[in-house]
Amino acid sequence: MPEGWRPAVAITAALLGVARDAGLVTLRLPQNARQVPQDVLQRDLVRGALQFGFELGTGVRTYVSASLPYVAALAVLLANDVGTALLTGLGFALGRAVTPALRYASRAGEDWDDRLQDRLPLLAVGGGAVLAAALVVLTLHGFPAS
Amino acid sequence: MSGLPPGAARSPWRGRLTDPAVPVLALVCGTVAAAWYAPVLTWAIIGGLAGYSLSGSV
Repeated sequence: MPEGWRPAVAITAALLGVARDAGLVTLRLPQNARQVPQDVLQRDLVRGALQFGFELGTGVRTYVSASLPYVAALAVLLANDVGTALLTGLGFALGRAVTPALRYASRAGEDWDDRLQDRLPLLAVGGGAVLAAALVVLTLHGFPAS
Repeated sequence: MSGLPPGAARSPWRGRLTDPAVPVLALVCGTVAAAWYAPVLTWAIIGGLAGYSLSGSV
């Protein structure tokens, strides 16, 4: 793919992701749509918790509720840069960790879950729009970040 | 059911500060700041958005 096309492809994918999350287009994306079974925790609590966290946290075995991870993965692939991949991976890990941390900090887990359900469209569509804007910014500053 | 112990009241500021929308707003601010001061950190913001967007995953 020509160098100059990479940011355009990433931004187009981001906008497509926003349209998908807004329900404007139907697009099936690959995912291992299964829940991590509870018995992984019963075999060995520590190893089970690690396995559960890894599979749920990375999306290896879970229901993916937004297009953003796909768009981010594609953007990193197109950037073709190790530093970019590491920075994005670090951000992903922190972003993933915020969910349980915030839920715990709220001291009202079930109420927080209800509010999360209300905010999911904002997370998916709003977050996707911010991601698209971030890719435009990166394009203006030279894409990839190498 | 709130998940709080009986008789305990949750402070309003805690509810607002821990609202699920707060990280998105913080990442919006982060995007603007990164774009202005350190564009390379925008990749970390993108990762953060992708990671937090999985909040609805089960």
